[in-house]
Amino acid sequence: LSIVEGNMPQSTDLLQGTLDVLILQTLAPGPMHGWGVAQRIQQVSKEVLQIGQGSLYPALHRLEYKGWIQSGWGNSENNRRAKYYSLTAAGRKQLERELESWDRLSLAIGLVLGRIKEAQA
Amino acid sequence: MIQQLLTRLRFLLRRPQPAELDEELQFHVDQAIQANLAAGLPPDEARRQAMIEFGGMERTREQCNEQRPGWWMGTAAQDVRYALRGFRRNPVFAITAVATLALGIGATTAIFSAVNALLLRPLPYKQADRLVGLTSVWPTRHENVLISPDFVAAQSAAKSFSQFGGYCLSNGDNLTGAGGAVQVSRANVTANLFPLLGVMPQLGRNFLSEEDRIGGPLVILLSDRLWRDRFHADPGIVGKAATLNGVAHTVVGVLPAHFSFPDPAAEPDYYAPADFDQDTTVSFKAGVWMVRVIARLRPGASMEQAQAEMQAFFDARAKGYPAVLAPWSDGRKIAAEPLQRAMTGDDRKPLFILLISVAAVLLISCANVANLQLARAISRRHETSLRGALGASRLRLIRQFLVESLALSSLAAALGLAIALAVTSLVRHAAVLEGPQASLLGRTAQMLRLPFGKLSAVIEVDGWVLAFTVGLALITTLLFGLAPAISGTRSDLRNALQASGSRMTSGRQQRLLRHTLLVTEVGMAVVLLASAGLLVRSFVNVLRYDSGFDPSHTLIGETHLQAGVATLHGPSAAWPAQRFRSFMDGVLLRLTALPGVEAAGATDALPLDGRTGGVVVFDGVPVPPLGERPFACVTHVTPDYFRAVGTQMFAGRGFGSADNASSLPVAIVNRTFAKKFFAGDALGKRFRTNAGPDHEMEPLNIVGVVDDVRHDSLLGEVQPEAFLPMSQVSALFRVKFVLRIAGNPALLANALRGAVAAVDPEQPVFDIQTMDQRIGDMVAQRRLTMLLIACFAMLAVVLSAVGVYGVFACSVTQRAHELGIRLALGASRGGLLRMVLMQAARLVLLGGVLGLGAAWSLNRLLADLLVGVAPHDALSLGLAWGLMTAVALLAGTLPAADAARIDLISVLHAD
Repeated sequence: LSIVEGNMPQSTDLLQGTLDVLILQTLAPGPMHGWGVAQRIQQVSKEVLQIGQGSLYPALHRLEYKGWIQSGWGNSENNRRAKYYSLTAAGRKQLERELESWDRLSLAIGLVLGRIKEAQA
Repeated sequence: MIQQLLTRLRFLLRRPQPAELDEELQFHVDQAIQANLAAGLPPDEARRQAMIEFGGMERTREQCNEQRPGWWMGTAAQDVRYALRGFRRNPVFAITAVATLALGIGATTAIFSAVNALLLRPLPYKQADRLVGLTSVWPTRHENVLISPDFVAAQSAAKSFSQFGGYCLSNGDNLTGAGGAVQVSRANVTANLFPLLGVMPQLGRNFLSEEDRIGGPLVILLSDRLWRDRFHADPGIVGKAATLNGVAHTVVGVLPAHFSFPDPAAEPDYYAPADFDQDTTVSFKAGVWMVRVIARLRPGASMEQAQAEMQAFFDARAKGYPAVLAPWSDGRKIAAEPLQRAMTGDDRKPLFILLISVAAVLLISCANVANLQLARAISRRHETSLRGALGASRLRLIRQFLVESLALSSLAAALGLAIALAVTSLVRHAAVLEGPQASLLGRTAQMLRLPFGKLSAVIEVDGWVLAFTVGLALITTLLFGLAPAISGTRSDLRNALQASGSRMTSGRQQRLLRHTLLVTEVGMAVVLLASAGLLVRSFVNVLRYDSGFDPSHTLIGETHLQAGVATLHGPSAAWPAQRFRSFMDGVLLRLTALPGVEAAGATDALPLDGRTGGVVVFDGVPVPPLGERPFACVTHVTPDYFRAVGTQMFAGRGFGSADNASSLPVAIVNRTFAKKFFAGDALGKRFRTNAGPDHEMEPLNIVGVVDDVRHDSLLGEVQPEAFLPMSQVSALFRVKFVLRIAGNPALLANALRGAVAAVDPEQPVFDIQTMDQRIGDMVAQRRLTMLLIACFAMLAVVLSAVGVYGVFACSVTQRAHELGIRLALGASRGGLLRMVLMQAARLVLLGGVLGLGAAWSLNRLLADLLVGVAPHDALSLGLAWGLMTAVALLAGTLPAADAARIDLISVLHAD
């Protein structure tokens, strides 16, 4: 997973677990295959977050082993067999928890960096 | 949560589907190509860009697999498979390592199971950790007993104990009734003893306190064993009568089957109340009994408090003793110790010494296997480096080495456990295997069992022993596996890959490590050998002690002639003199007539039976005050007794049929008696004694002098002893027969029993054995300790020699190139041999010197077990050092000779 800033690609490791919450969030609306997940994250982040398959697939498998997402084979838009992932009930709960802690964390970091005024918080 | 676990479990069980993963990844690539095409790239470029973007397919596949729960277990299984494959490729290494370790682990586990059963496992009684035994300790001896007036006084006075119980042992009762007469053993117990131990009878009840008094009712408790053997497990036994010594006793209960009496020496057949006299003054009118004490600490009281209280109490009691008892009270220390410790007192030290010795053998095994692993690591360095170059991390390589070591030690532990199981079950079932025609197995079993007596029944491999073995496997793995793993994986990649495999030699550090291990091995072997030497010399000394009789070709057996009540205070239940005499005459006549019998005698105390006797006084010499009168053993014998036991006559005559109740009272004395009381000239002199059943102090005329015979123990001091003719006493209670036999004495056991039964069928003969067996039993523990340590020492020597051979054989193989060059440059073959041998000799000598130093300082631990030899005995130390050095150098000669035989051409061609 790398963050691309403008034309100068600067690779930074995201916090452990951030990719997981991104994937869970992306899968929240409905089932999606791996390619779709990567494209959606890239799209939504306005091309800032590009997820290589080397990170994506191990993460998908990890989440599946944890029981937060499940997989099944289905047909893709262009009628090819593809593996679709969807959130499980446990995954939905996990997503809520992760979002909550992300909110807390980003608020805290924002406060420290002075980007958010306390009054606003 | 549970669902999560189930999910994990499902994945754990489901096999990975590589095809699915491939298809998933391929889909991703195809989508990327599609996207690139859509963006307007030409097909070739679209594909190329997609592949570049995608990166390594194999790596992703690998990483996806690593996400699987339990993935690491899969690779561990891989490591194990790899290790086992390695063992199959190199079976000599694997077998040597496993066998070496299995011997070490097996021996250690077997010894530990004895230590566990005898010293560590709690006794099977209620809150056994609060039970206390009292021991009287003097500078040179200790006794597990108190005298009964002291015991009774302490029962009511002791404040540190909530209960204070005791018992006396006796083996003298004849049980008659259905099934013939048998001899049964008895313990007289205080009424509170069984409640104190938390033991409830399976039938009936315990003794009541009002039954435990002089003149109380004749009630008994049966052991489960006697109840089953003699009363057919009759469920209605309570209230019925059992005939003991011809008197009916009422059975009030049967003890549970699992109950074991808390005395290592005895497992009584039945129990009677102690009936101690409540008068606590120490006098000899009522008789004094030796009471063994078991007490329960009061809640909150500590062992130290109890100890201090008892010491003060008995110091005060000693002031009321008559002068005769001065030796009993002077310098007496009372030791209050946990019952388990009190019970196993004498067995502790040999067991711990054995445990230490066997641990040393295990350490030597570990050092050996570590050296083998190191040698193997060096020859595998090429492989290790290659794996490292292909991306295996150092940690992964170390893990691979450790998994191999663990596989070795697990195999060895399984084998070792099997060895321990075999040994312990042999010990436990020894009784089944024994018998007149005992096989080698039976004899071995007996040898292992005897030193532990009845406690051998509880030696087994239980959960703790299993845990111990597993712990040993893990510890040994670390001991022999860690160093090779760390040094074996520390490799300079470039050098290792460049050098050809055959030219690889060990680095300086590794050589140091291997030589240190070797020196340690040799040193430990020397310590064990020296200890074994000391014990062997002690054992020989014990057997060589002149005992004054000839134990070979001698059969002995005992019978108790009694009629009366089986209580401590029962009226002396001697037979009428007429019955006694006709019984003795009848039996001896039949015994003498048995085929093969050269002499048949009878006595009331055999050699080594312990001393029984009384004070002696002499006419014409003022009688010293009570307490200062000299003591002598007094033994009653029949005329042929001396010939039967093989004791030599020195002067005068033996007893004959003319010495009878109406003739002049005569005596034969031993040389010590003659020397001590008559300055050697005893014939024709007279003395009086209070010993014997008649207590008449009539003058006895000395008609003969015999050789000294030991009574206390094989090592004890010889006591002055007087022998009186059995035909001049009214009757005896205990009679022991002695037969001197031309052939194998064991074959006449049934004939001896039959001869007695023919005269009186009510009279059981028990403890029939050869005199050799009896002496063997007495030295059984010493012999076992000696044999085991000798075995461990030999094992240590062999293992160390294998170690020396292994290290130098390997070094010669690795240095073949160097040796070849030396040879080419003009070194002589003899010079090569000397060079390798000198290297081995340096290490062996260093190990030997260190071992001698260690033995010098450690052998003091053995001092208690030594007889007639000092812990720093130069002969034992020197022999140990010499033997180890010789064997080790011999082992070093083989690789040295290989070095001298090196083939120059093939070595130089190898490159």
